Amino acid sequence: MILLDTREFDHPIPLEMAVEAFKNLRNDEVIHMVHRREPLPLFEILSKNGGRYLSSMREEGIWDIYITRSPDLDLEACRV
Amino acid sequence: MYSGLSLDQAPPLGIVLRFFLAVPLFGAPLSLLILIHPAELLTPLHPYSLAALHLMFLGVMSMSMIGALFQMQSVLGGKPIPSPLGNGLIVHTLLSLGTLALAGAFFVSAPVLFVIASVLLGSAIVYTVQLVLPLLFGGITHDTLRGMRLALVSLALTALLGIVMASSYADASFGPRHEALRASHYSLGLIGWVGTLIIAVAFQVVEMFYVTAPYSAWCKRNAFWIIAGALVLKTVTLLAGWEYAWGFDLVIAALLLGFAATTLRRLRERKRRVSDVSIWFWNLGVSLLLLAVLAHTASLLGATDALERVALIAFALFGLSVILGMMGKIVPFLVWFHLSSAGYLDAPIMSNVIPAFRAKLLFGLFASAAAALLLGVFLPALFAAGGILGALMFALLFSNLLGALRLYRHTLAHGTRFTQE
Repeated sequence: MILLDTREFDHPIPLEMAVEAFKNLRNDEVIHMVHRREPLPLFEILSKNGGRYLSSMREEGIWDIYITRSPDLDLEACRV
Repeated sequence: MYSGLSLDQAPPLGIVLRFFLAVPLFGAPLSLLILIHPAELLTPLHPYSLAALHLMFLGVMSMSMIGALFQMQSVLGGKPIPSPLGNGLIVHTLLSLGTLALAGAFFVSAPVLFVIASVLLGSAIVYTVQLVLPLLFGGITHDTLRGMRLALVSLALTALLGIVMASSYADASFGPRHEALRASHYSLGLIGWVGTLIIAVAFQVVEMFYVTAPYSAWCKRNAFWIIAGALVLKTVTLLAGWEYAWGFDLVIAALLLGFAATTLRRLRERKRRVSDVSIWFWNLGVSLLLLAVLAHTASLLGATDALERVALIAFALFGLSVILGMMGKIVPFLVWFHLSSAGYLDAPIMSNVIPAFRAKLLFGLFASAAAALLLGVFLPALFAAGGILGALMFALLFSNLLGALRLYRHTLAHGTRFTQE
């Protein structure tokens, strides 16, 4: 699991960091992104480029996003 | 700003850039006017001064603000402007030709150009408002969208008063209400359109872009009601010929001072202290707003022409500073977002779309031009120097925007796409 905590970065740097990490992601790896809001534009980029994601709000202002390139990896099982 | 951005709803990159690229093209003749005719531009109501004023507020500022509306509407409203390619072209063409006609009308004092400008600009603005305003209704309660509504209504009223005044210029017959119309035209254009749209955008982007504490909910909920109320009452008071219209200026001044002070404090107390040129533009812009409000308030007490000129120039520079800062942030993001969504593995990182040294140079030129123009109110030679600095700044802006467009097209033509394992 690759941890990517982007909460302190100015918008839209977190999106760029996540896409850069996604480009280098192996099929069996998962990125755990922690962000202060739900990054909707990122989801479109991931979906259109063979990625999958699971997004949930931990508490107000903290979102956990799990990203993979694997078509069958269970992201629910990756939740911390 | 981009929390809801979807490629399917976003307008094509070319539409937004078409508006943005026109900004330096109008900035160039404006700078030339400042350089060649500084004394005339510093003379209130001189036709060259009015030509410059409309090149600035229509050709530079409204052009970029309407271009940004095409983008913002799809992001914030969730209801994108329909047929953005065709509608963008119509608005852009009418606004460009209308601004040129109006500036030309003042410059050569040609009555027929006032009529042509009225038709073109009236059409551009009415078309824009009827296109965007209906999308902002229907259960929408977002504070920024409320501000956009007020800004668009103000823009339409500004245009209406402008057309009435243009007809006076066309046949050189100024009625007894001409000064009241002018004062209302300025208030609705500067505060209702420019100021309100910038405040509405600030409520959304300052917190999101720069990780600051949010503006207070009370302020976001009520600011636009206060502006709208003060503008309506001021306009009625002016047109009815009653006294004390300046009282509503004081209400607006107090609100703008509060907005400026809060924004500066939010930016100063931000968590992450990384150098970012767009923050420099915001800080300088909001400081210029403070100067504009203080100079205008002082001019109400002392009624000096110089203070009124400082207020107007500082307010225009406030708007331009925020616009330049936002362009520097929006254009790299849009280039990156459109390419990344299309799957280009080698989409340039945002900091490479407009390199940092170019962004910093743009800020340096803008800040120097701003200082020269403001000091130039008292030393006209410096005002002309502001024209040279302005021309250099607009040339660099054009080069930066063109560079971003070229990079986008080059990646589209030669880039490598994601491979799916």
